[in-house]
Amino acid sequence: MEDILANINGAAVKKFGAEYSETRAQKLYKTMLTLKEGRVEAAKQGIENGVALRVLVDGAWGFASVGSLNAVTLMNAVSNACKMAKTASSRLKTPIKLAETKTVTGRVHIKPKKKPSAILMEDKINTALSVNKATLGYDKRVKSCTIDYLDLTGTNYFSNSQGTHIEQDKLYVWSRVTATAASQGVFTFSREEIGSTAGYEVFDAEPPEVIGETVAKRAIEQLDAKPPKGGKSPVVLGPNVVGVFVHEAFGHLAEADLALSGGVLMNNLGKKIGSDVVTFYDDGTIPGAFGSFKYDDEGVPTQKTLLIKDGVVTGLMHNRETAEEFDAEPTGNARAEDFRVEPIIRMRNTFMAPRDRSFEELVEDIRSGYYFKSFRGGQANLDGTFQVGIQEAYEIVNGEIGDPVRNASISGNTLETLLKVDAVGKDFELWPGRCGKGQTAFICDGGPHIRVKEVIVGGSA
Amino acid sequence: MAVLKKEQMLHLAENAVKSALKKGAAEVEAYAYEGQATNVGIERGQITKSNRIIDRGVGIRVAVNKAVGFAYTNIIEEPKVVESTILKALSAARASKSDPDWHGFPEKKVYATAEKLFDPKILELRSEGLVDLASSMLDAAVSVNKRVFPIEGGVGTAYLSSAVANSNGVAAFDRGTMIECSLAAVAKEKNRVTPVCFEFNAERAYDVDPEWVGKEAARLAVSALKTKQIKTETTQLVLTQFALQELLYFTFINAVKADNVQRNQSPFQGRVGEKVASENVTIHDDGLLPAGLRSWAFDGEGAPQQKTTLVEKGVLRGFLYDNYTAKKDGVESTGNASRAGYLSTPSIGATNFHIAPGNKTPDQLMSEVDDGLIIYYLQGAHSSNPVSGEFSVVATPAWKIRKGEITHSTRGVMLAGNIFEALKNVSIVANNERKMWQLVAPWVLVENVRVIGK
Repeated sequence: MEDILANINGAAVKKFGAEYSETRAQKLYKTMLTLKEGRVEAAKQGIENGVALRVLVDGAWGFASVGSLNAVTLMNAVSNACKMAKTASSRLKTPIKLAETKTVTGRVHIKPKKKPSAILMEDKINTALSVNKATLGYDKRVKSCTIDYLDLTGTNYFSNSQGTHIEQDKLYVWSRVTATAASQGVFTFSREEIGSTAGYEVFDAEPPEVIGETVAKRAIEQLDAKPPKGGKSPVVLGPNVVGVFVHEAFGHLAEADLALSGGVLMNNLGKKIGSDVVTFYDDGTIPGAFGSFKYDDEGVPTQKTLLIKDGVVTGLMHNRETAEEFDAEPTGNARAEDFRVEPIIRMRNTFMAPRDRSFEELVEDIRSGYYFKSFRGGQANLDGTFQVGIQEAYEIVNGEIGDPVRNASISGNTLETLLKVDAVGKDFELWPGRCGKGQTAFICDGGPHIRVKEVIVGGSA
Repeated sequence: MAVLKKEQMLHLAENAVKSALKKGAAEVEAYAYEGQATNVGIERGQITKSNRIIDRGVGIRVAVNKAVGFAYTNIIEEPKVVESTILKALSAARASKSDPDWHGFPEKKVYATAEKLFDPKILELRSEGLVDLASSMLDAAVSVNKRVFPIEGGVGTAYLSSAVANSNGVAAFDRGTMIECSLAAVAKEKNRVTPVCFEFNAERAYDVDPEWVGKEAARLAVSALKTKQIKTETTQLVLTQFALQELLYFTFINAVKADNVQRNQSPFQGRVGEKVASENVTIHDDGLLPAGLRSWAFDGEGAPQQKTTLVEKGVLRGFLYDNYTAKKDGVESTGNASRAGYLSTPSIGATNFHIAPGNKTPDQLMSEVDDGLIIYYLQGAHSSNPVSGEFSVVATPAWKIRKGEITHSTRGVMLAGNIFEALKNVSIVANNERKMWQLVAPWVLVENVRVIGK
């Protein structure tokens, strides 16, 4: 494989006029399940392979994806990609250049305790069935339970015209459980996800029964919950919500491509935009975490990147193209979902660093506010407007956690809200998730409990 | 561009069916897919790239003792791999559990022909042609105002074809084309930047207007520069197609899927014949809409696509079915088994979700707004409660309307409510329908929505 890819890159540079060429071949194996109320809709398996070819010609990108490892097919595709790049370059004002990186020769082999491929389909179905049983058995008002399961294994082969060759195993285990409950015309919905790059042993740490019960309990609790009051409010955010807040309200803006597109961090590099207790990282090195990997899809080693320290913006997440533009080091954030798409800047495991407060200390000074414990979706905008939907929430009344609240969301502007983070807890949790930016990336986010003086709570009451 | 011929696609699907039957499958379905896409991309004010993606594969679904297994591969040029994929589908089915409600794959039926879905001119477009279209879009955007900064977009074409064969004798092939121009832009002034404004134009025939897309994205961005905060109130909302698509996709469209109805997770269960929306609202799912972005002869399991009435003058009339849920209810599939290429088994999805236009022009609709907002882009619609229909989203930017005129833009406004209640409060449906991915709709005016200002 290495020889074929090197050959293609060589031809791109020597024969077809590319100043840079990279090839990324993949062999992928998937197992998937969907269960609805314990009915196995289908047990699914997939095998695929393909190559992504990316070339830089006269400062413009050409990209081709083919579902084949055939040398002749690849040679035709790279020749075509070079022609297309040349065409695209015809109206270019500022040619694209790439930051220098060290040439890497690497082999990364993952050694899971429990290889997903060694677990029988029957056993995977049985695990899902126990989640289902725990969910539906929790309370008869739980009306439905959908379980999706995916394991993805395979090998990435990366090679570029600068001499980098990397062979890297890929392993993801993911599952999502959703439940709905209904009673007296009230419908509620609850979701939980697990995800790991370690192996099938993730189900030892997260027993199926516990996952099922967590999902069901939340759906049931919301049946008696009331809608929140819309308007400004002090809030305590749990690690699961903090993670999405860090990811949406700050993380996307710290992706260098979005900063260059006019995102609000562009004019705030090196400036203080948060309170003293705000420190964020994006870290691709956490063993087993859903957003971890050794090398990114441009062959750059991953790292732990400090984004904001004590309220001051210290760095952005880069690929080789944006690193050159900022005169910075590439941070290993270039990721592609698979060989069908080009690598773009993506987060890995993004989190807020813990400090020193206990949960009680965060809550005790709030006379009237909300505790937002678990999220349901979130989205950001370049001007710093963020929204995080909440699937589990409680009132805070006179310093105590009160009644459950349903279908809330929070919103605000990043530049205002980070200054309003006034206390940060000493606990820490990291949660797996999936991020959409045209492509899907597996990520984690998290942090400790925090208190925010004021956000806008979207509520119908 | 070289694409697989009808005979090649059918051969791939039919051979897989024959082979799976020989290997012990009780029932089989094979879905062959080809997608070829060419794109010229814009990033940060200039054309920077051109992509070409060829994706082909086959997905095989088998049933053994009413237990269903599925396997796919994209390595279709190697017969050995296709054979081993069939074996994987069989082993998955054998590992799975019997489903008493499984009543097989669709029967052979006659397909209607949807019109204007294929344009050979699109196949002839090369990246040179796409660069010209993308340039005209960029130039048009920047010509509106110097403060406009196009951040991302492009022009792309696609050819899609599929063949479905099954053990009931279904053997069908369809193909179509698509072309799309899109542009996201912001406007910048000093250190301030607007939220992202977006326009696009997608068609099945080579009949797109990139200049309009560029100008419109730019016009919206510039008009979002001057902004004022608004107060918290209950008000009238003009929902444009962008907002409707976001709000309906995660709530209402789920509620009319038979799967959700049968599984007790739709508020519409048992309510056919009841009033669920204002009498101004009529909705069809039209899988045969001429030039519709999701119009095809048949769905992801070879059932004929059709026009299905969902809501007629506010009264709920029916649901979206695939073959499985239809058999369970003793009705016919409505042709709504949708499929993400060869990589997945089908699941119920809308085709062209068509809100019937009314009589009033957009100007006439606007003139009915004494004090309200016009909503384009929403953040966080995917965090709506998909079952209850409750939403709590951010509209940014949105524009304030006073006495029928847009007065200024505003940012970070939160809208909270329930989509099913909102549909009961639709007072006017305009006549300016357009295609927006799976939605085909005009603007609508909704009364009494809670708006939370800053």
